[in-house]
Amino acid sequence: MADYDRRNGGPRGGYNNNRKRRYRDDDEHDRRPQRRRYEEPLHLKVRKQLLGVAESPLKRTDEEISSIAKLVVDNYDDEAIRRQFFDLSLQIVVEQPFKIPFVAAILIVINPQKPEVAQEILTRAAKAIQEYLEAGHWREVKLVLRFLACLQGLLEEDGVFPLLEELFSRAVDLQTASSEDSLGLELVKIILLTIPYAMASSATGFEERALALLDKTDIIASTPHALEALVNPYPGNDEGDAQEPQSIINLLQKQLQGEAGQSWKLACIPRPWNVRKEEDTTDTAVASKKHALPEINIPSPVAPGPRPMLPEIYFSVYADQDIETVPSTSDVASSILRDSLVDTINILDCNRNATAKFLIDLDCYFSAETFVKRATQFDKLRNVEEGRSTWKPEDVAVDAVFSQLLQLPMAEHKLVYYHSVLTEACKIAPAAIAPSLGRAIRWLYKNVDGMDLELVYRFMDWFSHHLSNFGFTWKWTEWVDDVQLPLIHPKKAFMMGALEKEIRLSFAARIRGTLPEPYQPLISEAKEKDTPDFKYSSDQMPYSEPAKEILRLLRAKAPDTDLQSPLSTIEETAESLGVTDPLVPSTDAYVTAICFLGSKSLSHVLSQIERCKDRLLSIGAKSELARRQIITSVMDYWHEKPGIGVNVVDKLLNYTILTPISVVLWALSDQLGKGEGLVLSHVFEMVSSTVTKVTNRVRQIVVARNQPGLPGDQVAILDETLSKERDEMGKLFAVIEDGLVGVAGGSVDDMAESADQGLKGEAMLRGWGGRWLRVFRRKMAVEEAWVQETMSFVVQGVDASGLEIAVEQNGNGEAVGDGAGEEMPEDEALAGIL
Amino acid sequence: MQTTVDRLDKPSAYYLGRNKKRKYGRDRDDDDVGRQRTPEEPDDPLKDAATLYVGNLSFYTTEEQIHELFAKCGEIKRLVMGLDRFHKTPCGFCFVEYYNHQDALDCMKYIGGTKLDERIIRTDLDPGFQEGRQYGRGKSGGQVRDEYRDEYDPGRGGYGRAIAEERQKEEDEYGKGR
Repeated sequence: MADYDRRNGGPRGGYNNNRKRRYRDDDEHDRRPQRRRYEEPLHLKVRKQLLGVAESPLKRTDEEISSIAKLVVDNYDDEAIRRQFFDLSLQIVVEQPFKIPFVAAILIVINPQKPEVAQEILTRAAKAIQEYLEAGHWREVKLVLRFLACLQGLLEEDGVFPLLEELFSRAVDLQTASSEDSLGLELVKIILLTIPYAMASSATGFEERALALLDKTDIIASTPHALEALVNPYPGNDEGDAQEPQSIINLLQKQLQGEAGQSWKLACIPRPWNVRKEEDTTDTAVASKKHALPEINIPSPVAPGPRPMLPEIYFSVYADQDIETVPSTSDVASSILRDSLVDTINILDCNRNATAKFLIDLDCYFSAETFVKRATQFDKLRNVEEGRSTWKPEDVAVDAVFSQLLQLPMAEHKLVYYHSVLTEACKIAPAAIAPSLGRAIRWLYKNVDGMDLELVYRFMDWFSHHLSNFGFTWKWTEWVDDVQLPLIHPKKAFMMGALEKEIRLSFAARIRGTLPEPYQPLISEAKEKDTPDFKYSSDQMPYSEPAKEILRLLRAKAPDTDLQSPLSTIEETAESLGVTDPLVPSTDAYVTAICFLGSKSLSHVLSQIERCKDRLLSIGAKSELARRQIITSVMDYWHEKPGIGVNVVDKLLNYTILTPISVVLWALSDQLGKGEGLVLSHVFEMVSSTVTKVTNRVRQIVVARNQPGLPGDQVAILDETLSKERDEMGKLFAVIEDGLVGVAGGSVDDMAESADQGLKGEAMLRGWGGRWLRVFRRKMAVEEAWVQETMSFVVQGVDASGLEIAVEQNGNGEAVGDGAGEEMPEDEALAGIL
Repeated sequence: MQTTVDRLDKPSAYYLGRNKKRKYGRDRDDDDVGRQRTPEEPDDPLKDAATLYVGNLSFYTTEEQIHELFAKCGEIKRLVMGLDRFHKTPCGFCFVEYYNHQDALDCMKYIGGTKLDERIIRTDLDPGFQEGRQYGRGKSGGQVRDEYRDEYDPGRGGYGRAIAEERQKEEDEYGKGR
């Protein structure tokens, strides 16, 4: 890769020279004589070479390109080769975006000799983009447009620019129609991301055209989006270190304007087509053979499709280092690299190894001077000559993965995918990736106080999962000072939550072994106990006798009727003691016995619950307090291993022994205290998985209801269910809101000014309340908007089947709704956050 | 159309090979018919598979640990631990059943080949759990692979059982001869 630029000034008339070199390469490969017997069919050879183009830092890309070009030109009569080349080229464009410029370069090389090749590709590309446009597959539209932009030099007249302008006029229509439109923004983003490739292409003289287009997009791209605050990853905390969110589209607009001022240097974009130019001296007339871009009709109005419903914010974990290891946000490279990386990551989720390989080989796909050498240590960057790049390819790659892992409101794929990409990258190139991850972790931890709470938990989840893949080694000594912090401090809470998660993937003794001395007290001895005691074994415990009897009967699998006697004993005693709800202590004994008997494993407790199902179901029907006592008993029994408790609660929800509202009330009312409950990671987990269960159900109903061809009476039934479930969802969010507002209430000024320790603590708790509120208000807004938009398409008679794409699930089992938000309601909740 | 990179959510060579063997065993005579049918079999048993076979677990890995990792791909409907046929103790494999086919595919892509309890685990799409399949099919009750393994694996009971037995026997006889 590094070599091809040097060739620029190299010996002339290189074609022969090149050929010889190629043959020499071949000789080297064919060392083993037995291989000669098998001649690979040529179309497979084309496939292999085309798939591998630019991939290897050891091969010269210009030679790869001319080799493929020659194969195609020499064997153009071969139907199999033609088909392979045409199909695969376009497939690479939409599946491996890094390679777009290189595929384009092959065509540019072929064109002087076989202009019909480019003509055919253009026809096919136009057909493809037409289909993507009609289906609203915007990412593919963008990638094919990029391919066309790279071929700008082969196109007649203005090439892709008229298309971009038409796209822009659609964006204007959408923006004028609604101020909360997100589709128009997506179109503008596509335009802005196409311009640089057209300007870096072999075509010249489009500066004014590009600038004019930029002038037009400015008004749309630069207007701050009303909902930016909703997805700000760093809303700040009580100490007020919020960070201004930078929208991707806004940055891009500014960066491109800056680039226009520097005569479109666009330094990072590779220009594999440039190499050939000097060599094509043979026949300039043919070389300049241009093609008309086949007609492409942009539908009006354009098809909606999966797209981010809320504004996209630029996220970087390497933002404030003293040496720039990633391009700054003022540099257009930050957007160009990020966009290609993010597409690569999200497109190739079917093979994380391939994704990781692309991340590691990032420097192969951009111009030679873009990065420092791979795996250059951070400290060595100080020695880099003035004026040369200090960008570390691994930092840029890792940064892009984090931008997806920590994307609000949700990521495109399940979060564990991004975990696995980082794991693989770390496995392929530990020396390069591990230190980058280390710096990312430090930065995220340092800023954990001001981070959106949902992202804190995503970070925690990744961190513990990542460590579990690498022997749980982390330099805990770095954070040793924070061990002293109070439990309600966000950093300490993070630490405790992360250790808990590590233990859940492993076991307490193992994790304790990885920690330095000062951390030892954080993992209590009790955590190592497999079976927590049955609290009623102690005679000091009230109701111990009947409780022991319950345990005995349950263990003996006695019929349920036998249990009534000891349960009644408890209830009668309780009544005589003046307990308001005697069902509460009897439930405690019953559920604690179930937990104890099922303590061996999840299957054990499940079969126990199954056996006791009817009685458990009847408890909730009789008393709401007793129903919540079920949760208290489970969580008390699993006090040292709350992860197990949360799981049991989740299963009890599935049995409808618990209701979502009871879980939320338990967490945000019964156990809330002054808000201390909010700092525990498992409480957040419990509430958020409960909410997800409810929102998923609503989404499933919507999807079922929108199935094409559903008979009218079924639609009516589903509509009724839907309205009931939406109602329930609304109530659930209202209960959450109520619980949290109380904690978050109080003026922020109070908190900041108070020097007193107690007040400081109170202020911190209020901060937790606020952080929780943001998360659940956002969830509510997203869900409401998703349902509204999804339903509105049906009302408008748009085929709803296409929307199923939008109901993929992300890491938390939440459905991901990319296709929402066009009619974002001016919700009270929204206003509250902004 | 074939993607430009291989997919990780395909059934393993083991699964495909096993099926092939069974097929050829049954109708050896019309081999060719069988071969033609295989690729586009009308009812692919894995078409909607929501179950995964999970292998190479440590004998000490608990249900809770498995749950913790596998729930990252979606809610788990059922988890069946693989047990030693005679001792009814975990013997290093399990079945994880999700509610959705897609979750199982995602699990193949994102979790298969990563570590659980510090071992690289293997996942394979499975047509569905049936009673009886939770038991090891090896001679001594565990999985067949643990029968003849000649490397020491502390997470899976040391040496393969047949080999350990042989060693023990040799040792005993040596002692007697003295």
